[in-house]
Amino acid sequence: MKFLFKSTVLLLPLAFIAMFYILLTEEDAYPGTDYKTFDVPKFQLENLENTKLIDNDEIKGSFILNVWASWCITCRVEHPFLMNLKNQGIKIIGLNYKDERSDAIQWLDKYGNPYEITVHDLKGSLALDLGVTGAPETFLVSNGKVVAHYQGEVNDAIWSNVFLPIIKEKGMF
Amino acid sequence: MIIEISHFLSILATGLFLLVGLISFIATDTKYIANLISRTFSHGFLLLLISFVIYIWLAITDNFSVQYIANHSNTELPVFYKISSIWSAHEGSMFLWIIFIGLWGFIFNINIKNDEVLKPKSIGVISLILVGFLLFLLLTSNPFEIILPIAPLNGADINPVLQDPALAIHPPTLYLGYVGFVIPFACAISFLINGNPDVRWEKLVQKWSVLAWVFLTIGITLGSWWAYYELGWGGYWFWDPVENVALMPWLAATAFLHSLSVSIKSSHLRVWTILLSISVFSLSLFGAFIVRSGIIDSVHSFANDPDRGLYLLMFIGIILIISLSLFILRFSMIRPIGNIKRFSKESFISINNIFFGSLIFSVMLGVTYPLVYEYLFDQKISVGAPFYNAIFIPIVLIASLFLFFSVDSKWSRNLNFNFFRSPIIVSIILSIASVILLIYFFQTNNLTFLISVYVGLLIIFRYCIEIFNSFYFKKFINPFSAIAHLALGLLLLSISFNSLLSTERALSIRLDSIEEYKDLKIYFKDIKVVKNSNHDSIKALFFIENSRGNIVELSPEKRRYRTRGQITTETAIHISPLRDIYITIGDQLDNGNWVVNVQLNYFIRWIWFSGCLMAMAGIVLIFSKRKV
Repeated sequence: MKFLFKSTVLLLPLAFIAMFYILLTEEDAYPGTDYKTFDVPKFQLENLENTKLIDNDEIKGSFILNVWASWCITCRVEHPFLMNLKNQGIKIIGLNYKDERSDAIQWLDKYGNPYEITVHDLKGSLALDLGVTGAPETFLVSNGKVVAHYQGEVNDAIWSNVFLPIIKEKGMF
Repeated sequence: MIIEISHFLSILATGLFLLVGLISFIATDTKYIANLISRTFSHGFLLLLISFVIYIWLAITDNFSVQYIANHSNTELPVFYKISSIWSAHEGSMFLWIIFIGLWGFIFNINIKNDEVLKPKSIGVISLILVGFLLFLLLTSNPFEIILPIAPLNGADINPVLQDPALAIHPPTLYLGYVGFVIPFACAISFLINGNPDVRWEKLVQKWSVLAWVFLTIGITLGSWWAYYELGWGGYWFWDPVENVALMPWLAATAFLHSLSVSIKSSHLRVWTILLSISVFSLSLFGAFIVRSGIIDSVHSFANDPDRGLYLLMFIGIILIISLSLFILRFSMIRPIGNIKRFSKESFISINNIFFGSLIFSVMLGVTYPLVYEYLFDQKISVGAPFYNAIFIPIVLIASLFLFFSVDSKWSRNLNFNFFRSPIIVSIILSIASVILLIYFFQTNNLTFLISVYVGLLIIFRYCIEIFNSFYFKKFINPFSAIAHLALGLLLLSISFNSLLSTERALSIRLDSIEEYKDLKIYFKDIKVVKNSNHDSIKALFFIENSRGNIVELSPEKRRYRTRGQITTETAIHISPLRDIYITIGDQLDNGNWVVNVQLNYFIRWIWFSGCLMAMAGIVLIFSKRKV
């Protein structure tokens, strides 16, 4: 009984300290990562080429939704990696964010188009519903549900640490 | 150049404190060593104080070559706020925190004679704690950083919500309370090291602990008042994580004072008293950790840095390991002789310790649970008022009932408990009568309200009878206990009335029109844009007429501060003893109407008054000549 009391007195506070140590050092290795799951918001927007309306039914299955703009420097940095993904056979949907249509088309012509479909979100309405704060941002979508979200440039490290574990877990692509 | 002197003095002081700490633990206790420790500590503190005074002077003279001052002060500020800007952010407030630890140590040092057997090691413990914090300041949050080669011409301004007299005083008061418990902690450690159970460390620390408790009580009350009128939240307590980490040391300190009053007289509850003295101090440090590590998002959170959090956590860990190991080693020495008599004051106070312990534990749970939950499930949840109400209301009410019956108990004597003693009967009858009147008057059947009021009245009547007896029959009364518990009764009453009666409504009002709310007629007279020295504001003017035909003018504002672009809401409050009329303006609607939030807060002043009354009780104890 006495032993129990003594050990509780010593161990309980230390357990608290240890817990806070774990909480504090559990640094997001990749800040900007969010694994919250939610439905892709309802939307209806023109495609970039202005040839048809895109809504939720147009984009089905598993894909990557990449928010980009021609004015965004980091998107330019990120671009080769996306081309790379496309060549691996990964479906990428572009969300052109608050951008002039002509600028965006020119940009894709110049550097290459990694996107199967590009949605033109001039007012950023879909982006707002998705919780986009800027460009570039990337969402992993599985059957109409966002399962991962990353703010900032996607590169090899981010791809294999933030997205690949989820992709493997869910058996996507 | 001058800042380097200040910086250097701080480093020098750190060295001296380290020396004091080492001497006190290594050297054998002789009169010479005791004098040496005492004198060196005082010198260390004086160096530190000079360093701080220089720092204040630099802030007053707008020396923006100091990074911290450049970031938090401004030439436009009145001198008062130039000084208070020092504790408006992390580095400077940490500096103040350290100064206060030093100040407590210094005053303790010059008040206690050197032949007091516990003194040298107590001063040693305080010095080592100072070293710990000074290293934290110098290594992770240096307020002495300078901007080279060219200093900015003007500073970045203090956060506008902090440009307020209450807030200039609130943090220092709270800090004084927090760190004041370094004295009982240091003495407890010194006592444990000393190992002689006949040494009465409890006597040594009582008044110091009460004084620290007074500061903590006033600090929390001031914070509550500030949040009410400045943040526009319109209530007195929000169970915000940072409020909670201030509440935990207070609860622990209150339990500690109760427990101390027993241990001072006998060997009972010594285990409790020592454990509580360790808890109060570590909970104070824990509060600092929570606020400064940025582990919790809150209105109070300082610019955060995980390194700081880690340092503080390790510091708390070391303090806990050392003090608790000492406690366990000396456990057999502090165990009580004999049992506590049933229904004696001691027994009531040990029950009280258990109540307070469970309150502290539940607040701790409320603070940590969301963090653990987020870690495990990656979802944010918040633990708010419903959780705390569910725990606090029953525990506080039951504890207060125990308090009511404890008034008749005697020290180390069985209480011949007689339910039919007149003070008990009279208070019960008076309370029941008042509650019946209340039911009739307010037409309420809210059970929580009625029970809380009943319990509050029981305490108030019981202590009033006691005070009456002490005047007319010269019956002994402990004034500290009587006033503090009267304040508790008053607090229960005012919180109950506040939650029963207070109402709030968001009105949409057109300019030059009248809206009615409850018994008030609210006339929206005017709204205009005003330019001030450091902010623009939208200022509205309302005439409010109550049922008795009294008209008051209220003009709430919304301000936009130019330097930081921050928008603040300035509430307008009409204060009367019974209720506050509390108005804030929101946004303009598309149809031209303005959203105006009107709150009627009943008895809210009484809540703060109760807090002050409690603090008053502490002051009474400190100045009372008689031993209590």
